[in-house]
Formats: sequence, structure tokens, C-alpha cells
Amino acid sequence: MSLRTTALVAGVIGVLLLVAGLVADAQRPPREVTPDAAVDTAVLVYEPEMLAFAGDNRIGVSGAGEIVGLTARPADAEAWLADHSVTYVTGMPDWETLSTTAADPVEPSPSPSPSGSASASASPSPSPEPSPSASASPGAEGEDEAAPVDIVSETSEDHWRDDFRGTERLSVKGSDVVAGEVLVIVSTDGSPLTSTDLKQTRDVQDGWITPLIWWGAFLTAVGVIALVLRFVDLRPAQAKGEEWINKRQRVADGDEPDPGSRRARREAGEHLPETSLDEDSVVSARSVESASPSSAPSAEPPSAEPPGADSPSAAQPDHDDRGEERP
Amino acid sequence: MRSRIVTVWAVTGLGALALAGCVADVPPPVTSAPELEATGALLEPQSDRIVDLTMAELSAADRARSTDGLTDRVGGDAVTIRGVQYTLAKADDGPSPVALPSQMQAVYVSAAETWPRTMVTVSEQADDDSTPVVMLWVQEDIATDYQMRNWAHMIPGATLPAMPGPSTGAPQLEMDSDAVSPSPQEAVESYIELLRAGDGSDLDETFAPDSYRERLFTARSTLTDAANEADGEYVETVQPSIADSFAMATADGGALVFAPLTIDSSFTVEDATVSIDEADQPLLDGELDDTVTHSYLDFIVIHIPGADAEDGALPGVVAAEHNLIRVSDS
Repeated sequence: MSLRTTALVAGVIGVLLLVAGLVADAQRPPREVTPDAAVDTAVLVYEPEMLAFAGDNRIGVSGAGEIVGLTARPADAEAWLADHSVTYVTGMPDWETLSTTAADPVEPSPSPSPSGSASASASPSPSPEPSPSASASPGAEGEDEAAPVDIVSETSEDHWRDDFRGTERLSVKGSDVVAGEVLVIVSTDGSPLTSTDLKQTRDVQDGWITPLIWWGAFLTAVGVIALVLRFVDLRPAQAKGEEWINKRQRVADGDEPDPGSRRARREAGEHLPETSLDEDSVVSARSVESASPSSAPSAEPPSAEPPGADSPSAAQPDHDDRGEERP
Repeated sequence: MRSRIVTVWAVTGLGALALAGCVADVPPPVTSAPELEATGALLEPQSDRIVDLTMAELSAADRARSTDGLTDRVGGDAVTIRGVQYTLAKADDGPSPVALPSQMQAVYVSAAETWPRTMVTVSEQADDDSTPVVMLWVQEDIATDYQMRNWAHMIPGATLPAMPGPSTGAPQLEMDSDAVSPSPQEAVESYIELLRAGDGSDLDETFAPDSYRERLFTARSTLTDAANEADGEYVETVQPSIADSFAMATADGGALVFAPLTIDSSFTVEDATVSIDEADQPLLDGELDDTVTHSYLDFIVIHIPGADAEDGALPGVVAAEHNLIRVSDS
């Protein structure tokens, strides 16, 4: 496979990678998500487990009018919530939605006694004395319809520990609520809240997209170059170039160098250094080499040295380590 | 060939889409609630708010010399007693209502998760001649406010035990609880029995000395002697109200018991007309003849030592208030 064919194959692969990278980039999921849920009660509850789940993320609640977030001990909150229609946020099943459950007010169990007292209060009504109260009660009902009741202040507020306030939108960081406490979010005028959401930051495994795009672009460029070179004939331009280079050369192959010129000296070997090859200098070098072993007395075992030996340096290689002579 | 190209492009696109959807899984839910940092029913800002609102309501009523405004934060016996004090104050040279300082040196909150539950405060001294005042607040249910129901000045020389702080709160004890010995109800009933029997009773040695019963016994002795001299009779009845009594555990395993009680002192003479102090005239109900009855609405605080208390520690009254609320002719 020629280089050009390989480049063309790389180009095709590059196009595929580039397309895949661009498609993935366009479909890249957002890192910040806000799962939400619709709410249709005036009271919304985030219990301690859900607040721990939220952590440092922000809880948002939307509605009409003033919205108040109140915290309380679980036992106190439970007792207060028993008299109200409540939506509990229970979890986050996926990245898009929050799960909720609704609870209606707990009916008082001793129902006979309230009915008895109601009949007792109703019985005096025909008598003349209670007539002012009878005339007052319809007026009061009319006022109730006109002016909504603040469902927070209509009962004791002694058990609320902390509060967060907003208009039409309340945002509370989960960690701002003391661990173990319940967050009760109330539309003070009693109108239903509309939605709640919980901002989340998630890990998106998209680190491969950008390198894929760059590699795709690079390989595509290689392929494009190879493709261009396939359809464009460069041989005339190449011949012109070679001719131009030859013209630039002053000396032809068969020309003799000018005498005395640097080329002539180079061809004559003038640039090589002069070396001395006379015999004296060789002898003196040998004497230095032969004298140096005898000047080291520890290197020669005296017992093994034969008397009258001419040259200790020549006899030494014939002895082993123990001073014995080798055959 | 063409179908092969289409396949390649499809695989590329679908692969890109599939890889693009790679996000981390949803975090797992938190299944167990984190531990509550402060388990007491009221934190300091909450108790401060309750005290401030109570004192504001009380001061407005004091200025008006009327209990009409004592509706939200002051209730129970406190309204009755305060009403009597307003009646006396309206008389010429009548005494001012008892000063109830708004500055508190200690607040004891309940750890209860049920109702009714209590809050107790110990005030600063109003002046050099008076002792700190122990005040009792009660919350009947989640929907009603804490109301100040009673108060009592500390017995001179008495010391209140250490109580759990607001972060944990003091356990609310039932009156018949066996967490302390004697139980709160037994302690109240024994003390009432002692009040009925007088200082010669064997029960006198089972309670620490206190000036409340000493004064009561002294007055009883004086009135009994006076009745005897006039061939009359002096009868004193003492009744506790266990249903309106409360108990809170102390830090040493004991208990503080808060108990209202009523005392009726009936003085009868033969063939004569009784008279009463001029200062009590505004409280007279009826026309006096040979009998007069003074009705008192008292409040006592009994400390029951815990198991860790030093040997020989006895239950004792640490705060008490003796409130005359009515004088009747029978």
C-alpha cells in the first residue's frame, strides 16, 4: 500500500471521527441540571434525608405571593403538618424529575365530641341571644374569601427555628438548613405552590469528544492533501525545479579545478594533518610502556620469578594466581 | 457498496449519540436522617422570643391594670393572680403588682416531642429585697403558644439544681414517673400532707426546711389561737392540682416539680363579726359576719434530688408563691 493510499484511508477515517465528534458535541448533555416536580399544595416539605441529599445544591420553590421556608424539629414539624395538605419531596429518580407524595390533613379521631359541641352551639342559634354571632359569621366568611389567611401565623410559631423568605420564588441551599431539621415551605396566603426544583451538578463523561474532533480534523486534512495530490500532476513542476537547481551549480561534473584553488587543494589532500612516522618516537613510546609494570613491586610474586629472567613483563602472563607456571 | 456506506454512517452517528449520553448515575438517596444537632424543644432565639412576647403582653396589661390583654402569652393561674393584683393596685394606696423581671439568668427547655411541654426561666433579682423569680411556661399543643402559667420567688438561701442545656433539653417527666424517688406526684402529695398536718408531722423530717411552710404554720398557729380565744374555729384546707403540675428532669437525675395548690383558710367566731385587713377589702366577696374565708392560689417548686446527689439530700421546696385571690364571707 503506497503512502498516498494510506493517507486516503486515514482521511476517510478522519471524516468519520470528525462527524462522530461533532454529532457528540452537539448532543453533549448539560453538566448543570435542574430536576423538578409540579406542586399543587400550599405546603411543601423537604425532610432531613432529602436535605442531606441536596447538600450544597439549591432547592427552589415557585408560587404566587410570599413564600416562606421554615425549619423545625421533625416531631414539631410532623405535628404541625398533620393539619395541612402537604406535598413531600421524596427523591430524585432521574436527572429530570423529583418524586413527590401528597398527604392530606389528619382527621381528628374523636369525631363524636366535636359534632356534639357543634350541635350544642347550633341549638342556641334560633334563640334571640346568639343572633349577633349569627349575623357576624357570614361576614367573617366573606372576609375570609376576600382576605386570605396567613397559614403560618394563624397558629403558634414558637416551634419554627429558622426562616427563609421570598416572593414568588424561594431558593434555599440544602446545607443552610441545620442537619436533622425539616424544611417546610409555605405559601403564606394559602395559594398552591406551583413547582419545586433541585439544582444538581453531575459528571458528564465527555472528555473524549474534543480530542476526537481534533484527530478527525487532522486525519481529514491528511486525506484531503493526499486526494489533491492524486488529481494534480506535479511532475512538470518537479522537472522545472531540478533544472533550476542544476543551473544554480557553477561547476559541471567533468570540469578540472583551477590550480591553487581551494577545490584543487582539497582534492590533493592538503586538508589532512601532517603526522610524524619516524622510529625514535615509536621506541621511546614502547620503553615507557615496558617500564611501567616493573615499577609496581606488588604485582610480581617473588617466589615464582625465575632468577635471571630478562623481562619480568614478558614472563608474568605465564604464571597463574598462585605463582605456578602454566604449561 | 452504497448500503455499506450507509451502514458506516449510521454506526458512526449512533455511536456518537450513545457515547454522548454517558452521564454519571443519579446519586443514591439518603435513607437515614442525619442526627439532630439540638434536640431541645426550643433554641435560645426561640425562648428569647417567647420571653420577650410574654413580657410585652404583661407590661401592656400592667399599664392598663387589666387582664383583658392577657390572652396569648399569659394564661392559667397567672391571669387570675395578676387580675387580683390589678384589683388591689387600683385601690387607694394599693400595692403595685408583683414585679416580674424580664431579664432571665437561666432558661430550662423541655426535650419532649409530645404535649403539653414546659419551659422554665429564672429571672434576675428585681431588687435587693426580693429573690429571683421562677416562671413556668406551658405549651398545650403545637398550635398554641407557650403561655406563662405561674411564677414563684425563690426561697431565700435555696439553690436550683443544674439543668440540661437548650441543646439537649430536659426530659419531661410524667407526674407518676418512677425515674426519680419519690415520684413527682408522691413528692407533691407528701408535701401537701405535711402542710395539712403541720410542723409536728413525721413528714417534716422528710423535706428540707423552707420558709414557705414555716410562714404558713406560723400564720396557722396565730389564727388558731385567735379563734380559740373567741370560742371560734380556724380550718385550713390544702389541695394540690396534680393535673396542672409538671416535672422536668434535672442534670443529676433528679427532678424539678412545679405544682399549683389551693389553700382555703376559714376563720369562724361565735357571736361576733369578723374583720379583715383594710388592704384585703377590695377582694371581699359578700358581707362579713361570723365567718371569713381567705382563698389562696399558691405555686411551689419542689426539687427532688437525683441518685447522684450527696447522702442525706432531701426533697425540698426551692421556690414558692402565696397569692391571696379571694376573701369570702363563708
